[in-house]
Amino acid sequence: MDTAVEEFEVLSFKLGDQDMAFDVENVEMVIETPQITRVPKSKNVIEGVINLRGRIVAVANLPKMLDLDVDVEKLKSVIIMNVSDVEIGFLVEEVNGVMRVTEDEYDRNVVSEKFGKKSKGLIKKDENDLVVYLDVNEIVSEIVSAGT
Amino acid sequence: MMKEEYLSVFVDESRETLQNLNDNLLKLENNSEDMETVNEVFRLLHTLKGMAGTMGFENMMKLCHKMENVLDKVRSGNIKLTGDLMDKLFTGVDIVERMVNNIVESGNDVLEDIDVDSIVRSFDEIQGAETETESEKTEEKKEERSEKVEGIPIEVEEPVRNVVEKAIGEGFNSYYIRVTLKEGTQLKSARMYLVFHKIEEMGGEVVKTVPPVEDIEEEKFDLDVDMIVIIKKNKEDLVQAITSISDIDKVIIKDFMPKTPSVEEKPKEVKEEVKVEEKAAEEKKTKKKLTQTVRVDIDKLDTLMNLMGELVIARSRIVDTLKKYNIKEVDESLAQLSRITLDLQNIVMKIRMVPIAFVFNRFPRMVRDLSKKMGKEVNFIIKGEETELDRTFVEEIGEPILHLLRNAIDHGIESKEERIAKGKPPIGTIVLSARHEGNNVVIEIQDDGRGMDRDKIVKRAIEMGLIDELKASTLPDEKVFEFLFMPGFSTKEDVSEVSGRGVGMDVVKNVVESLNGSVSIESQKDVGTKVTIRLPLTLAIIQALLVKVDNYVYAIPIANIDSTLMVSKDDIQTVQDKEVIVIRGEVIPIYRLWEVLEIPHETEEEAMNTVIIRIGNRKYGLVVDKLLGQEDIVIKSLGKMFSDVKEFSGAAILGDGSIALILDVSSIA
Repeated sequence: MDTAVEEFEVLSFKLGDQDMAFDVENVEMVIETPQITRVPKSKNVIEGVINLRGRIVAVANLPKMLDLDVDVEKLKSVIIMNVSDVEIGFLVEEVNGVMRVTEDEYDRNVVSEKFGKKSKGLIKKDENDLVVYLDVNEIVSEIVSAGT
Repeated sequence: MMKEEYLSVFVDESRETLQNLNDNLLKLENNSEDMETVNEVFRLLHTLKGMAGTMGFENMMKLCHKMENVLDKVRSGNIKLTGDLMDKLFTGVDIVERMVNNIVESGNDVLEDIDVDSIVRSFDEIQGAETETESEKTEEKKEERSEKVEGIPIEVEEPVRNVVEKAIGEGFNSYYIRVTLKEGTQLKSARMYLVFHKIEEMGGEVVKTVPPVEDIEEEKFDLDVDMIVIIKKNKEDLVQAITSISDIDKVIIKDFMPKTPSVEEKPKEVKEEVKVEEKAAEEKKTKKKLTQTVRVDIDKLDTLMNLMGELVIARSRIVDTLKKYNIKEVDESLAQLSRITLDLQNIVMKIRMVPIAFVFNRFPRMVRDLSKKMGKEVNFIIKGEETELDRTFVEEIGEPILHLLRNAIDHGIESKEERIAKGKPPIGTIVLSARHEGNNVVIEIQDDGRGMDRDKIVKRAIEMGLIDELKASTLPDEKVFEFLFMPGFSTKEDVSEVSGRGVGMDVVKNVVESLNGSVSIESQKDVGTKVTIRLPLTLAIIQALLVKVDNYVYAIPIANIDSTLMVSKDDIQTVQDKEVIVIRGEVIPIYRLWEVLEIPHETEEEAMNTVIIRIGNRKYGLVVDKLLGQEDIVIKSLGKMFSDVKEFSGAAILGDGSIALILDVSSIA
């Protein structure tokens, strides 16, 4: 009966002491943090732009977005996402890898006060292994509407 | 299927012909005696009719046919070209234009709100019933004539003739064939069907039959059937094949040559005919020159442009890398590579360029209609329509120019009486011109109307709290006129009326600036107004000066740079809380780039690198840490995430892979 259980894949990564995850569908690639050119007077969650194989891609500071206190120096990786044809990079600490999640492990009813709508719920691998499941569409739209 | 294949060609060519028609009608309106133009209009209508017929757009064909008849009457001197008639022709052309648009949108030429028949009748009224029959008669006569020449007893309509002409062009032969069945043949239609079938089997096509195919199918014919056939086989084979079918009595076959309309137009005198022919030949020559082009999907051009951009970047990178090693041997090949890329870049850019005539063409008609509506007489002059600009601009710049022209007619040019009272020539003049100036395309709209009223504008500016009275009195004119570009500045009736300009100038400015251009106004009361639009030659690759502030590189479009100089601290004066420098008597405000961009910056040198920026008539100085030099850069969009940052118009990737933000100099100060 295993096949009947809905499964999906997420990319999990570390931010501070917390594991988090994005839908794997939106992930284009993961790169080492390159030189970031800051853009003066842009939104404060935007760290700047990078040259991604000739394309100009905005990079957002994900911990800042989620109100987590993580030193920028520690953000060693950028997850490049494609959200409705907009490319955007998110700075994270360390990428754990792709994780297979079953419906049973996904609890969409846990509402996080801290992350609000930016979180779609929790993924529980076991009691000690909790992953915050982030809603990238919501995050991007919050960045677009955010002030500087 | 065939139809769809040709539809886009049909639409393109119809539009081109319509544009030509409009131009020539305008010419005709100025000089109704100009027979050459009458002929040209006639010819164009004829072409249009033929095209519509070929594609099976009956309404369009009917309307063109009627207008053509009218022109024919004008040509023969039977009716005069009155203003009324001109209006009717213009309306007719407009309707045809709408039909073409309708064909694009919904595939047919039926306009719901327009009764084509009533318009057709209105043209009939002009011609009068009598002339109509006469024209029909002349047409018949023409056909008779061609009969005699060709010895072919059937009428061949224009669409069929076009098909035949095309086929001949593709290497087909065209024959007139008369097939006679034996007396007392049973199943006549079946026999004829066999004939058609045979012809088709041989790779031919029956393009026309007399009687029509429907009648043949219903056996509504005696023994003879005439037909026009296009086929690659020769006569003998064809005759043999047809006679092999039983019950065929006789087959007559002749070469069929469709006549080109331009030759048969004027049967008057032999001498004149020769002339017409010569002219047609001449026309063909010039036409050929003009039409040696390929229509290319704009997406492909954009891709080419992008690749070109990558190539430019790659080249700069190689040059940068090799500089470090200073290898003599590669110098020459590197120089060659640079030259080739530069040439290539120029060509790709040129491919994207189209003459501004594409934009300007529609204005004469619009100016005519508008000035007529407002009861003003305007002499509209277009200059420099061959000036080329990036095709991205073509779609964008039309509206702003249209707007400025409308303003010029509506508010600028005075009524005839007013002009006479002022001692001006009674007919107003509007000049629309375009020219290249360095890396810019300059478009000017100049009128000799009433000009702008400085005082009224200042008054309004004070009302809106944009300026106080004290400052206003010392403000130079161009600064005053800049108020007109403020959104909502002249929504008030009296201002737009008296100042002579107004509504929507902010829209004009927005569009122009979104194209990296600038717009400025010069005006003198009762002398006239000149609006100048400056656009870069192309959007994609620009020359830029790279400057450095705090280890970050920024690019300033060369097109906006007046000069660069060193400014020492002592040169800076403070006027009204603003820092300025004086260069050759000109007072120029200066800004420090780090302050504009709100970047923390500690040291300040004694002598500062300053870039003098020029936007239209406005100048200001920008202080930077270091000037790095000039480079070709490829503009890339910063994207949605930075839509709120107005200081930058984009970003460019430099030779070393790093990013330079491109300063939008018109919005930073």
